Amino acid sequence: MGNRRLNRRQLLRIGTLGLAGLGLGACTGATATTAPAAEAPPAAAAEPVTIKWAHYFDPLQSPAQKFNFEWMERMASTFEADHPEVKIEPEYFDWDRIDDRAIMDFEAGIKHDVVFGSPQLMAKHFEVGDFIDLAPYMAGWSDEEKTDLAWSPVWASGSNGDVQIAVPTGVHTRSLAYRRDMFEAAGLDPDTPLTSLDECLAAAQALTTDDVYGLGMSFGPARGTIELYFGPLIWHFGGELWDPEAKEASFASEAGIQAANFIHDLVYTHKVTPESAIGGTYDDAILVAFLEGRLAMGWGFGSYWIVSLEEGGFVKGCFPATDACAVDTGGVMVTPTAPGAQFTNGWTLSVHALSEHPQEAFTFMEHLIKPDSLYDFPDAGLPARLSLWDRPEFQSDFYQTWLEAAGKGRPMPATVHYAELADTAAACLQEILVMEEPVEDTLTRFQDEYNSKYAGK
Amino acid sequence: MPSSRSSRKGLYLLSRYRLPYLLLLPAVVVLVVFLAWPLGSIFYFSLRETPLGGASIFVGLDNFALLLSENRFLNNLAASLRYLVGVLALSVPLAYLAAILVSSRLRGAGIFRTVFMLPWIIAPVVSSILFRTMVDPYSGPITAALEWLTGEKFLFLVKPDLAVLSIVVHSAWRSFPFEMLLIAAGLTAISPELYDSAKVDGAGAWSQFRYVTLPLTRNQLFVAVLLITIWTLQDAEGVYSLTQGGPGYVTEVAGVRLFKEAFIYFNIGIGSAIGVVLILLSILFMILYLRVIGAGESQ
Repeated sequence: MGNRRLNRRQLLRIGTLGLAGLGLGACTGATATTAPAAEAPPAAAAEPVTIKWAHYFDPLQSPAQKFNFEWMERMASTFEADHPEVKIEPEYFDWDRIDDRAIMDFEAGIKHDVVFGSPQLMAKHFEVGDFIDLAPYMAGWSDEEKTDLAWSPVWASGSNGDVQIAVPTGVHTRSLAYRRDMFEAAGLDPDTPLTSLDECLAAAQALTTDDVYGLGMSFGPARGTIELYFGPLIWHFGGELWDPEAKEASFASEAGIQAANFIHDLVYTHKVTPESAIGGTYDDAILVAFLEGRLAMGWGFGSYWIVSLEEGGFVKGCFPATDACAVDTGGVMVTPTAPGAQFTNGWTLSVHALSEHPQEAFTFMEHLIKPDSLYDFPDAGLPARLSLWDRPEFQSDFYQTWLEAAGKGRPMPATVHYAELADTAAACLQEILVMEEPVEDTLTRFQDEYNSKYAGK
Repeated sequence: MPSSRSSRKGLYLLSRYRLPYLLLLPAVVVLVVFLAWPLGSIFYFSLRETPLGGASIFVGLDNFALLLSENRFLNNLAASLRYLVGVLALSVPLAYLAAILVSSRLRGAGIFRTVFMLPWIIAPVVSSILFRTMVDPYSGPITAALEWLTGEKFLFLVKPDLAVLSIVVHSAWRSFPFEMLLIAAGLTAISPELYDSAKVDGAGAWSQFRYVTLPLTRNQLFVAVLLITIWTLQDAEGVYSLTQGGPGYVTEVAGVRLFKEAFIYFNIGIGSAIGVVLILLSILFMILYLRVIGAGESQ
């Protein structure tokens, strides 16, 4: 009995303390919530504002990312110097997960401010609504300012009628990077561009030795597989990855068979493309292999890697672009596919719908897309602003080749289920390559499986 | 009247043991919030279609029907079972060897105990990246050593059999320390006299293991195998970081498919349905193991 009585007392004490605590909490809570409303202080001006900037720059990920990271730090510090009331807080996300994170965090109520995004996933962002409409914020822009940015397909990917949810930071296109010294050693003329797949194959065969593969490609389990290789080849042979009318996958076509066979033969018949390309990452299979001299030609070489060509001594005075830009031991040529059979995209910037400081976030975005800011942004690839292309430093043959490559590009299908389409097609191609599955049956099987879930959506 | 009597008895018990019940309450709340609620959610969402940015709708068993009609999902289940069998086949003998080593009176056994625990404490994503680096076709030390020995280039993440082997070895390497700990605990409880009498009876090393060690560590082995089974069946991060399910769908185990559906494609309904299937599979394995253990004990 004694124990029970004691326990009751203890409980009573605990209860009293708890009630007192709750009461105190309620009082402080009331003070905290009602005070700003009553006094209505200019909170935005008095309190420092933190802008969370979701980026994908990991200095350890690849040689090019180190330069992007340095650019990011410079942009943040210059903006903070001009706007002492704003603090920039970078948040790292993996480059191929950053869009997903923006969407997931929106659904979960996690706030961001400025977010990098991918044009090929804008259809999903429109559907979810995790990026705000920037049009009201751009109302003060002149027509020239808008035209300067709105020329590329990257801008169009962020538009839906009058709504604009993203602005481009650059233009990513791909070319065929090649080693001029290896061309000369193989008796090929490095100044004569390859103009067809047959010429490309013949050159690759001539360039392949015991230590060097003639033509590098990447068929790993990633989106790059359809964006840079399978997709463009299907387009080249006259097919489509996705039918926008029926809203269903359409890669199991005659063009799809031709594209898959072409890739298969490069690896297994002609042996000009390393088999390791099926399992490696895009960076390893193309950039690292090219820089290390394991590839004579790298298909799908991104404009975001110009900085690495410069660092590797393959080109000189090209990054940042100067009047003296010239090729040395390496160069680029337009990929020899049909017009419109290359992929062009670019990173975009958006303001997250849960941002508590959309105006400050937009101001920071404007800082990032200023001509001088974009000028030495390595991952811009190519200038997002048309006016930058008029500068003398972009008139070199090197940059004009990139401009021609960009003009040949097109975006990926604008489907909400783009990630599923890309993964399905990549897995399909991998099965054809490593399991020696019959091409037509495998393409049809994967296409049917995709369409059974997503056709019409 | 019996019901009113029992309810009065219940009230009496509640009143009599109010404090113990009150003290249990936080644990119950934690269990409900962190276990029962998520578990209930997974069953709830498996019966619904939840489009992004829209309201979810009840679709009955459609998500399960869709999955079961897919070759891909059947392949996911087959890949999961292959993965599980491989991991257990590799990790259990390794765990026994390690457990015998760390429980022995050998000099330096303590160092082994620490070293063997390293795979367990390394995050799966980190160890996957480590594995990827080691089997890189151009710079990986494992591939370089194999090429030096055989003259052939081993493409671990390209060839289907080698890709499966890679995920199995990686997971077994990560799992064996936990199994080792449990088995080592069982080993220390075995009286040395049993080994002495086995020796007197003429038992060699294998017979001692077969007739003394194994039966007397059966319970620890059961717990270890059961937990590793559940973890391996539901593993997504280790496999995804290593192969992303490739090449093709060869290493796309059900856990990886769940991750892709739920967190990349945002198909919450299908992802939840896969989760339910994995829970049911885990329960099935639990029953199976209990029966095997029960049969062993009755013998």
